[in-house]
Amino acid sequence: MKHPTQLFRKPFLSLLFILINTLLFAQEKYTIRGSISDVINGETVLGASVYLKGTTIGTTTNEYGFYSITAPKGTYTLIVSYLGYKEIKKEISLTEDIKLNFELEEASNTLEEVIITADEGIEKLNVRKPQMGVVALKAETIELAPAVLGEVDLIKTIQLLPGVSNNGEGSAGFNVRGGAVDQNLVLLDEAIIYNTSHFFGLFSVFNNDAIKNVKLYKGDIPARFGGRTSSVLDVRQKEGNNKDLELNGGIGLISSRLAVESPMFNKKGSFLLAGRTTYAQLFSGLLDDLGNSNISFYDLNLKTNYEINENNKVYLSGYFGRDVFNISGLLDSNYGNASANLRWNHIFNDKLFSNLSLIYSKYDYQIILDFDQLDWISDIENFNVKYDLNYYATDKLKIDFGLNGISYNLNPGEIVPSTPSSSVNPLILDQKNAFEAGAYVSAEHTITDKLTARYGLRYSTFNRLGQQTITNYANNQPVVYNQELGIYQSGTAVGSTPYSRGQTMRKFGNLEPRLGLSYKLTDKSSVKGSYTRTAQYLHLLSNTISVTPLDVWTPSGPFIEPQLSNQYALGYYRNSNDNKYSFEVEAYYKTTDNRIDYIDGANLLGNNTIETEILNGEARAYGLEFLLRKNKGRFTGWLAYTLAKSEQRSFGGNAGGPGINNGNWYNTPYDRTHDISLSGVYKLSDKWTFSSNLVYQTGRPVTYPSGQFEYEGSSIVIYDERNANRLPAYHRLDIAATYKPNRRPDKRWKGEWVFSIYNLYNRMNAASITFNQNYNTGVNEALRTSIFGIIPSITYNFKF
Amino acid sequence: MNSRIKKIINKLRSKAAVTIILLSSVVFSCTDVVDVAVPTEASRLVIEASLDWEKGTSGNDQTIKLSLTTPFFDTALDPVVGASVSVENVTSGEVYVFEDQQDGRYTISDFEPIINNVYNLEIIYNDETYIAQETLIPVPEINRIEQSRIGGSDEEELDLTIYFDDPENETNFYYATFLEGDDLFPLRVVVSDEFTNGNEVSIFYEENEADAEDEILPGDMVDINLYGISELYYDFLHILIEQSDNVGDPFATIPTRLRGNFINLQNPDNYAFGFFRVTEVVNQVYTFVEQEN
Repeated sequence: MKHPTQLFRKPFLSLLFILINTLLFAQEKYTIRGSISDVINGETVLGASVYLKGTTIGTTTNEYGFYSITAPKGTYTLIVSYLGYKEIKKEISLTEDIKLNFELEEASNTLEEVIITADEGIEKLNVRKPQMGVVALKAETIELAPAVLGEVDLIKTIQLLPGVSNNGEGSAGFNVRGGAVDQNLVLLDEAIIYNTSHFFGLFSVFNNDAIKNVKLYKGDIPARFGGRTSSVLDVRQKEGNNKDLELNGGIGLISSRLAVESPMFNKKGSFLLAGRTTYAQLFSGLLDDLGNSNISFYDLNLKTNYEINENNKVYLSGYFGRDVFNISGLLDSNYGNASANLRWNHIFNDKLFSNLSLIYSKYDYQIILDFDQLDWISDIENFNVKYDLNYYATDKLKIDFGLNGISYNLNPGEIVPSTPSSSVNPLILDQKNAFEAGAYVSAEHTITDKLTARYGLRYSTFNRLGQQTITNYANNQPVVYNQELGIYQSGTAVGSTPYSRGQTMRKFGNLEPRLGLSYKLTDKSSVKGSYTRTAQYLHLLSNTISVTPLDVWTPSGPFIEPQLSNQYALGYYRNSNDNKYSFEVEAYYKTTDNRIDYIDGANLLGNNTIETEILNGEARAYGLEFLLRKNKGRFTGWLAYTLAKSEQRSFGGNAGGPGINNGNWYNTPYDRTHDISLSGVYKLSDKWTFSSNLVYQTGRPVTYPSGQFEYEGSSIVIYDERNANRLPAYHRLDIAATYKPNRRPDKRWKGEWVFSIYNLYNRMNAASITFNQNYNTGVNEALRTSIFGIIPSITYNFKF
Repeated sequence: MNSRIKKIINKLRSKAAVTIILLSSVVFSCTDVVDVAVPTEASRLVIEASLDWEKGTSGNDQTIKLSLTTPFFDTALDPVVGASVSVENVTSGEVYVFEDQQDGRYTISDFEPIINNVYNLEIIYNDETYIAQETLIPVPEINRIEQSRIGGSDEEELDLTIYFDDPENETNFYYATFLEGDDLFPLRVVVSDEFTNGNEVSIFYEENEADAEDEILPGDMVDINLYGISELYYDFLHILIEQSDNVGDPFATIPTRLRGNFINLQNPDNYAFGFFRVTEVVNQVYTFVEQEN
């Protein structure tokens, strides 16, 4: 078979030809550009559509609210629309380049307006746009979904979408289209977030008060993103109200929140500062067992911006979040993410928009074990420079291009004796350094009235750098199959190779073509197809049933290959005539090479030679996703159904032997055959809004016993093939009601009560089932751990 | 490798699990015993061949137990009779034939343990031959045993620590069992000297959390065994201990099949479970005493 990049080369060249033609033979045209923002708080609106009525000319605003459209000389009706906002129509006479900024007014103030809100523009563009496998959510949508203990949770809300799932409560992260948790690129204002949850997966790290908009790319990942194979979760923070001082807050059962927004520098800028924290001593107070302990988390979000002049704007955003587990005398641990991003938007001219970002992010954890007299520290940190440009070339062509460089430093673990008498010798595992670079160009091209294409190419390189000493193994086998015992074991070390600081240990380079095509069947329907190739150079080492905050990232290098993924997707999209309903179905097939697999009993933490515990495997996933949405009216919501399969296999390869599970395909831990979610919001009156989620998922693959034997008086479990069995199905129903008391329009203080019940019928969903011998009776038993039963809660939110 | 870190990490993991359970039990209790249908596979031979030479004894009396694997929820054992069991000292060429007691036990009363000698086990059952090899590994004396009430998961309860000297310039592995009062199961601990090579090594014992009802009181006795073991046996026990500690832990590693060191010469796929170990062991019984603080 030909290499995918070879297959791609020919169509790419011919498209390039069309592109050049379009550029050279353009007629007399003018450009309209500007930015779109919210009239109330001045927040820029991203993803709003701007188009010329009766033409195919139109675009959506970029991440900074900027748009630019070019059209032949003439008179047009310019329409600006965004879901939930009143549409703006403006007659324009295009005889020169013009600059137009718009302020959109929210439409949800009265019911009637919600019902009649027309979003024709968006629907039209979405049907045409070659982008597929993407879902955008506004903070308001996330806020309306019922949440555990009233803690509004972005990560749980996206799991209601087709193709997104996770391992249930108490497990960090999420899985997209049969991909692993570490294959998601999670960005908060462009900074990589390595751990998305608090309290081991119970709550998400994203404080909804600080969030403006979320976009999840499930497959057709634009060329400007790189480094992960499954998905991109692009979370954007609010910029802060630049018209008035605004206070938002809430008091819940678990935490309290407060966000302050205000204009600065004579309304040339604004800031947002948001905080969320759990109540100190909350849990310890309720539980005598824990004695004098502190279990808590908190988040701080900051964003400021300053408009230097019409063409230059700077932003600074930051995040700091932490979990603290201090259980008296036993365990003292804390972990969290920190990130900062300094951005400079520069508009070169009517057609060229640029953004330069300097980004830092870090995830670290620390465990202080007083009793064992040691501290255990581990972290991953990166510096990232990004330069992205949007070139609105013609009415038919928009080109994005840019460069990106990321410097990684990984500290997989460090032991520090905490007392002089500690019997533990200090230890620092090898620090790992790497530099990842990427360059991309991507074009969105309206080829005919019906056919739109997006073709892009990303080239990524990864340089694993010293200073580090790499162990060499006999016969170059870090893992060896022991024929007699039928198990994989660590290879024999024979010396080592030292690499000096900054010296390249191994270098990788990958071409990542991204292609999307959209063909409009009618005004209301289209078919789309896409091909995405992605490379991933960082891997999260995890062989536990659920991903834990302790899992360590490791870079590709002498022993670990980059993960390479190809995804093919095909979709059909249809809107109802009145645009009340939209329906989409997407099919995907995804393969991933070089997926790390773990030998039985692999030891991943505190291990300097990870290569002795892993085998190189591959994964494949395929599925069918259905999404039916109701976008307007008193009742809005969606029904999502996914039918999918996700498998992996690993041969012995260099290590010899049959491989994991005898080299057969086996279920990944996140394989879910059926996944159904029903999510709805019903607005009864200005005072009352009701919402509900219903979720059903096939139980996830686990390994059950297939026998037992007695050894030294204990019953030892004989486990079946890896992931050959399944937990019982997971399902639950949540409901919530929001009550906004009567308020006088002139009163600034606006309060609302949110009452919710999570898991209404108290389904005891198994987070795990473990099999053991009862300590007191000696009888074997199956023990189910379920995290959340029925949980009622009440939250008070306010706005000033 | 790195038992200590592994232990620490496991501890943290289990604490994390406990924390989650505690967090959610604020609203609802959530660990319960359930009926689950599990698969059952064809039975295999299980060999428990532990030739342990207790310091200060002759080590002449030894027992090897044979049985078959059973369905997971069965309570009865399935002993194997009629097998032929023998052990050869490879260093000396001496062969020891074990006598079938017709109840799954095979015994001998003239075994001669010699430190650092290599032993081969051979079992013939159902016309298939199972073999394994191990070296008799020595163990240092226990220097002292200290009791205290500080440390461990319960700050009030009595616990103890044993101390012994790890020899320098060699890699050592240890296995300790602590059986308190009339408990059904001992607490098992494995230790490598990777991070403590040449130091005085300590092993800590406290009451199993599953047995929290039964508080240790002055006068209670703990039966302590400390074995010198091979690296392969250390790996075996490591998995055994980790998997039996996994009760209710959502962060447990994906469980694996615990394979031993036996090879089936005729039919490698029909492998046997269990382990052949040859060790030196020190045994001490410690009685807790009344103590200030």
